[in-house]
Amino acid sequence: MGDVLTSLILFWGLMLLTYFLMQNGLSIFNDVTKSMSHFMLEKALGPGIDLVEGRDGSASKAWFIQGMLWLIAASTLAFEGLWLKQDPTALHSLSAWGYDPTASSLIYASTYAALYGGIGMLLIGSSLHIMPRLAGTELASERNATLVSFLWTLSVLILVVAAHDSEILGVNIFLIGTGMHALGFIAIVINLLLTISDRQRALPVPGWLIIMGMLADPISIAATIITGSIQTGSGQWLLAHMVGGTFFFATAAGVALYVSSSASGNPLWSRSLGAATLVGALATINPVGGSNGMMAADMLGVTFEQLQPSSQDSIVMAFLMALAIIPIMALAANVMMTLRGGDAFIENPDSAGISELNLGASMLLPLAVASLFVQSDALSAAPELSGMAPTLLLMGIWLVLVPISLGAALHLFPTVTGRNLLSRNRARWAYWMMGGGAFVGLTVSIMSDLIDMSLIEAAVEDSSALSADVQAVGAILFYGVAVGAIMHSLNAVSGLFRGTRANVDRATSSSITMEEYSLVSPTSVRKILAGGANLDTTVVPVGESEDAGSATEL
Amino acid sequence: MSESGSGAVGEFIQGEEEPSSSWVVLAFGLVTSLTLLVLHGILYPSRDLPVISEILPVFDGVFDSGIWFFILGIMVGVFTIIATMMTEATSE
Repeated sequence: MGDVLTSLILFWGLMLLTYFLMQNGLSIFNDVTKSMSHFMLEKALGPGIDLVEGRDGSASKAWFIQGMLWLIAASTLAFEGLWLKQDPTALHSLSAWGYDPTASSLIYASTYAALYGGIGMLLIGSSLHIMPRLAGTELASERNATLVSFLWTLSVLILVVAAHDSEILGVNIFLIGTGMHALGFIAIVINLLLTISDRQRALPVPGWLIIMGMLADPISIAATIITGSIQTGSGQWLLAHMVGGTFFFATAAGVALYVSSSASGNPLWSRSLGAATLVGALATINPVGGSNGMMAADMLGVTFEQLQPSSQDSIVMAFLMALAIIPIMALAANVMMTLRGGDAFIENPDSAGISELNLGASMLLPLAVASLFVQSDALSAAPELSGMAPTLLLMGIWLVLVPISLGAALHLFPTVTGRNLLSRNRARWAYWMMGGGAFVGLTVSIMSDLIDMSLIEAAVEDSSALSADVQAVGAILFYGVAVGAIMHSLNAVSGLFRGTRANVDRATSSSITMEEYSLVSPTSVRKILAGGANLDTTVVPVGESEDAGSATEL
Repeated sequence: MSESGSGAVGEFIQGEEEPSSSWVVLAFGLVTSLTLLVLHGILYPSRDLPVISEILPVFDGVFDSGIWFFILGIMVGVFTIIATMMTEATSE
């Protein structure tokens, strides 16, 4: 049996065991485990836990704001990486400060910043809000979750630095970053497990997607380490895709399903498609991701190996990747149909976050199919499409995962913070900047990759000029993502202080509002609108009398 | 819009808002700068700009790629966020 199948069987077995334990508890160890976990989350941290507040929603708020700030860093790094692909010496002046980035190191660092900083933090922030509501209880430790957000940010910072230069003073700082990341991750998982252990009702499918997605991350790592496949290129590739398919895809799926229902006011379109997404996410290999396992190898401190799968491994990997299209299709259909509902939005369709969610769901299937082709090609002895794999990974990040996680955060923002975003108009602009910049910029970048690949295949000696020009355009267009991320962050930060209260109705398309307009005499629609009415205003005819006027009796 | 009624125009033509002073000052400053630049070009056509022409050579070899214009934009955005946080947190 090959490395891949062995690791997967162990992973599936451990996931089934986890599910059984979650449903049935730990028997006589239940109470002692719960009280010990509560103690570890709060009192064991000593005075450190008093540094943060434990108000309802404070944890999600901290994760949201930090996640949005990480998106700025991630988009900036990705933009610089795309630029340096056509102008490698653009940042050479920074070498005087000891910082000498390359295109690949910047894009690699941006991947950490986007996946763990931006997407990871926004998904966890949403989960901390969603899980207690689905379970009908409160978050086990709001203060611990708030405190852990700063530990998580620190770990991402170290990982981003390590992506440039992994050894500082002879120490592999990837391991330090991974250690801190693992500590934060365990705290969040325990917090969520404690929360759902007090559930007052059966956990709906989105809740299972979130918790199983989170649990699958450490379990997949354990499975590849126990089987020893982490030392091989296939095992490293598998781990990268298992984490991508569980923590990122399954958790994002749970959050997206919850938010699509909550934002539209429609019930979830299909429970069976939700279940198909859950089972499929765990039982298949998600094709969206890198074409090698460098991230997995680096984070676990093992030597990176090239992907050279055996024929048996190749068959298993290709088959399970093709199967993954089923849960992906199920999720995209479920989210879009839930958002659409009966062609009528009960809630405001113009509210921030809906557009992002729609974009993420729309791009999910096409990018998954494109990734399937590229990843299947990577399994062959002589890959031909590997040149476009890094850009396709960027598309998966910025056109699927970021829109879904950011859209969810923007939608939940008023409920979590008690205040709306400062400006709905600015959120709309930011959406177009981010979505348009990512879509057009990365499409042009892929065109540049294709030109490069064609010229290399044709054995043209100087292949750089044409593709470099196209790549420059792609990088400039991608700059819109950085601008959009800044606008979103500014909107959220300002909204925290000056946004209207969440329980106060806001203007939709017009700043002029009037609930009732008293119609005394026949008049034109223009005058009514000019008087401050809008399309939702009720026009109330007021009775007229021909009687002579007289003094008002007091 | 029909202008037959004498009161109809007056009803719509009255401005009720004014631009904030900060925007007025910014616009005025921009126009003044441009005016002074044009004047300098006319009065001293062959001379470099004072102060600026002495500062810019310091950055030769540093900001020598177009990417710095974009990075400058991101830095302005980030500092705007920091400034917003500080001012909002310290305001009454």
